[in-house]
Amino acid sequence: MVEFAPEVIDTIIRASALLGAGFAMIAGIGPGIGQGYAAGKAVESVARDPEARGNIITTMLLGQAVAESTGIYSLVIAIVLIFTI
Amino acid sequence: MKYINNPDRMQIEIIKRTYLVSSLPIAYSLISGEFETLLGFVFGLVISTLILRLRVINIERSLDMEEEKAETFIRNRYFIEYAIYLVVLVVARTNPSLNFLAAAVGLFMMKFTVIMWVIFDMAKGGLKNKLQEYKDLKEDKSEKGGN
Repeated sequence: MVEFAPEVIDTIIRASALLGAGFAMIAGIGPGIGQGYAAGKAVESVARDPEARGNIITTMLLGQAVAESTGIYSLVIAIVLIFTI
Repeated sequence: MKYINNPDRMQIEIIKRTYLVSSLPIAYSLISGEFETLLGFVFGLVISTLILRLRVINIERSLDMEEEKAETFIRNRYFIEYAIYLVVLVVARTNPSLNFLAAAVGLFMMKFTVIMWVIFDMAKGGLKNKLQEYKDLKEDKSEKGGN
């Protein structure tokens, strides 16, 4: 069986944690794309019915606020991985 | 949600409810003397309030643009907001007088409040409908009994 020195194991763990942080950050891209798509559709809706502008702004605000959560979850996990190990 | 047609009133209502819900953890951390937790939580809460205001401004600006431009604009602004969140969390992690997890919970507090608000509204609406159905059924039965 191959045995590694403690420094090598530490390096492997640190590299894995950083790699995991990088992978976790991929989750931050999704909400951005989704919010952009929602904004485009909101513009289309306002053009169709300008009186519903207030309603559309509020719905979009609530939707964006909740959609962003997954991005922040991934950010928290990435920061924990980077700073803890 | 009463103020769905009025975005200005709605954001005031969201902020008010969030601070109302947040008063519980703030009071708990004050009583227990955990000042790092209190500072971290308030830090996250203040930043999330400011980002809500920024988001409203961005949405209002985007609605006056063309569809494709609005998409790109909101996407870019999201990444700027994401960078702000990153800075806030890194500062909370590196500064010993701020609790990292409390700052993260403070950032999430507005989202929790919105979700809980919607769930309560749905539950309230469902309960009202059930009560109305029950009343209608009772009236029908009494009418049939009377006849």
